[in-house]
Parts: sequence; structure tokens; C-alpha cells
Amino acid sequence: MYWVANAFIFRRGDSPIHILDPRIKLLISIELFALSLISSTLIHIGISLAAIFTIAALAKILKRVYRTLMFSAGFSVLIFVINFLVGYSIITSFVLAVRFVAIVGSTSLFFLTTSPDELEYVLRWFKVPQDVVFAFVTAVRFVPVLMLDAIQIMDAQKSRGLELEKGNFINRIRKLAPILIPLVVTAVIRSSELAEAMEARAYGAVKKPTSLYTLTLKKRDKLVGIASIMLFTTLLLYFLNLTG
Amino acid sequence: MPKIIEIKGFTFHYAGSPRPALTDVNLSIDDGEIAIIAGPSGCGKSTLLRSINGLIPHMYSGTYIGEVYINNLKVSEHTISEIAKHVGYVFQNPENQIFMFSVERDIAFGLENLGLPREEIKKRVDWAIDLLGIREIMHRAPHEISDGQKQRVAIAGVLAMKPKILILDEPTSLLDPLSALDLITTVKHLHDTLKLTVIVVEHRLDLLVSIADRLIVMEDGKIISNNEPREVLKDDRLLTVGVGVPSIVRLRHLLKDACIFKHLPLTPSEFVEQINVAQR
Repeated sequence: MYWVANAFIFRRGDSPIHILDPRIKLLISIELFALSLISSTLIHIGISLAAIFTIAALAKILKRVYRTLMFSAGFSVLIFVINFLVGYSIITSFVLAVRFVAIVGSTSLFFLTTSPDELEYVLRWFKVPQDVVFAFVTAVRFVPVLMLDAIQIMDAQKSRGLELEKGNFINRIRKLAPILIPLVVTAVIRSSELAEAMEARAYGAVKKPTSLYTLTLKKRDKLVGIASIMLFTTLLLYFLNLTG
Repeated sequence: MPKIIEIKGFTFHYAGSPRPALTDVNLSIDDGEIAIIAGPSGCGKSTLLRSINGLIPHMYSGTYIGEVYINNLKVSEHTISEIAKHVGYVFQNPENQIFMFSVERDIAFGLENLGLPREEIKKRVDWAIDLLGIREIMHRAPHEISDGQKQRVAIAGVLAMKPKILILDEPTSLLDPLSALDLITTVKHLHDTLKLTVIVVEHRLDLLVSIADRLIVMEDGKIISNNEPREVLKDDRLLTVGVGVPSIVRLRHLLKDACIFKHLPLTPSEFVEQINVAQR
């Protein structure tokens, strides 16, 4: 599962893509997602992938996107084989397989260029209830903390003789219990302390809490947004014309 | 002197617990005092702190007798968020009280919850950042800063709400000796500049006794001693209670018959000073 996490872990950057308003990044990501989804010929999928790679290059995350795509290629081989066996032509099966890669790529673009902080603002902007936003924030915030906890527990159990790397598949899964149980217990203890600290900092005191920052569209955001919509519409019409 | 904390005959019994966590506690603390609460684990220190900031009785279920007053407010009649404007509570583990992705946003957390206008939030966050000297880390994520820095962020987040009372629950327990000393110096500085009333729960008294006005010792849910630190530490029975009596005080107790000491030394420098005086 590590590659999945890696594909979606944000790293700070200052590229022309990173500094865009997160809503514009989301818009671009959704547009690319839609284009990938309706790509039905080699040319379409080629255009979609080219667009994804161009943006990745602008965001200076080409290497990370490429790595993600290579990992998802495993699945796409499976998609290719299944489609081919079901009776589709080689080309159609190939397009379907590559389409999956493009979809993963378009989604990871957003997560690789958007900080959890920005994601939180997007959620608030969509009027997601405060409690849900806060649950999301703490979940993401505590991923590194729980990872450290897990490593500590693993070290402790290994030093008491637990051999995680030995045995067959079933045995290995069974050996996860001594890791998972203490991990869940520490997480529960953490969350109860968290609840106390939230209360002590007036969580829920007013119905509509204010915010230190809010999202504002700058000139460049508007420009990029409009340009992307125009490009998207053109491509959309082109894609649909050929298929229709 | 006006009393900022007034606890009258307070007994608290957690739901489902066989015995009360606090029994008939009476305590009054003056505005601007630094008070240490010490005692063995499970003696009721945390329960006492929770009843000062309203987590008891609002969040923990249980039965209680008596009353707690903060700034003349009856704690049981005000919500925790109202009390939070008067009492800043820094919990033992700073990790579990930093919620947001950046230091700056976390300091704003309490203020956002109170629904303050953005300009006011900005002003107070700025103020708290400078107060704790954490400007260079204000844009960092919590996992990118050290434990000592987390402790400072936690204190800044609490002080941004401008409380009159600052509670610190074992603030040095996760810090190395040097960072611990640094933190205590900061706390003393905050106390002096902001005219805060500070309540610190601490096992190890070495760092704190010299700056404290009051030492409260608890055992089995009761206050067994409550006075100036020097007076409290004169009693050598404390050595057996499970309080981290400063080594220098232990040394003085061991030197029972040497009557060179006019008064009980609390720090090594006081100890040396008195020996020098006696030699002259």
C-alpha cells in the first residue's frame, strides 16, 4: 500500500502550479479526469496523457507522477488482459488499460500539488460541515504521528521475539495483531486527549467559527481557470465528435 | 489580595470509580501567584486541574459536592469555552493538542472557535508568536518541529486566548534537561510580563521551587500541604510521599544536626551561600 500513500503525499513546492488557488487545481484535475474518462482512441488518450505530463512538468513533479503511473501500470496490465480475453480488440484493450493510468495520473496531480491545508479550505468552501472538516484535518494531521507509533510498537514487539518477516501469507497477517491492537489502543488514548484539548480551546463555542485565512481568487487564478475551461471544452467537443 | 481561584469543599467522584478522586478540597489562589501542585501519580492532580478549567463537571461524568470559582465565575454554571477565556490549559503531551497543519493556524484555532473577526485573530496570533519566540517556525507543520517547540506552540495557542490563568500539566516531562530549564525560564518570563496566575503540575521540583510562591502537595485526593515552598519542604515526611523533593533539600535533611543553615536552602547557590556565610 506504500505506493498509494506516496502518490498522494503532498510535498511543499513553489512551482506555477503549486501557487494556484486550490479550487483551480481541483478544476484542472477534474477536467483531466473527465478527458481521460471519455478518451476512446489512441489519439485521445495520447492527448490526455500529454496534458497530464505537461502540467506535471510545470509543477516539477514529473518524477513522482511517473513513479505513481509505473505502479498503477501493474493494474493496467490486468485490465488489458481481462479486456482482451473478454473479446475486445488489442487496440481497445490497450486504450482501456492506458485510460486507467491517465485517471490515476489526473487525480494524483491534484493531491501532489495541494497541501492538506488548502484541501481543508476547499472543503470549507464547499460548505462541508465543521465537524467533518475537522475530522479530516485531524486524520491527515495524525498520519505521521501514528506512523511513528506503529514503528515504535513494531520495534518493541520485534525486540520481544516477534518475527514479522517469517512464515507464509496467512501467518504474516496473523502476526499483525500484536502490532494493530496496541496501535489502536494508543490511537484511542490520543483521541481522548485530543478531545480534552479541543474543549479547552473552545471548540464548538460558536456555530460559525471564523478563519485566519480564506480563499481568494487572484488574477492569475482567474486567467488559468478560464484558459483551462476553454481548452477543456474544445477537447471535449473534439473527443465527442470523433466518438459520436 | 483578590482570589482568582477559589475551591470550596470540592469532592469529585468519577462515574464507575470505586472511590472519589478528590475529597473535600479547599484551595484559594491569589491573582498573580505561581503555584506548584505536586504529588504521586493518581493523587488527584489532573482531576483538580480539570475541575479548574471546567472539563469537570462538563465533560467528565461523575458526582460532585462543593464549588469551584474562577475569577468569581461558578465553573459548574459556565461552559468550558467560556472558562477557556479565563483559564489556558496546556496539556502534558503537546503532540495531542496541536490540531492544524501549521503552527500559525494552530495558534489561531482557539480564536477561530470563539468566532473572533479575522483582523483580531491575526493580531493575536502575531502577538503570541513573538511572545514565545517561534516566528521562524510559524509556517512549519507539527511533525517538522521539536518537542520543545511543540510545547511553545501549545502555550502560544492557549495564551492567544488571553487567559488570566495558565495551567501547565507536567510541562517538562517530555523535554531534555536543557529544554526543560529553558521552558521554565519562559514560563517565569510570561508570568512577569503578562501578570498571569500560573499553576504547574510537576513531579520534579528542582527547577521550579525557586520561582514558585506556593507549593501544594496532594495525596489520595486530598491536599496534605499548602504553603510557601520553603515552609512545605521543611517537613521531611515529604521525602516518603513520592514528590521529587530537590536534591539540595534532601541534602539539608540529611545534615540534620549541622545547624549552619538559617533557613532551608532551595537551590545549590542558596546552599553554597549559607555555607560561605557560616564560614566567615
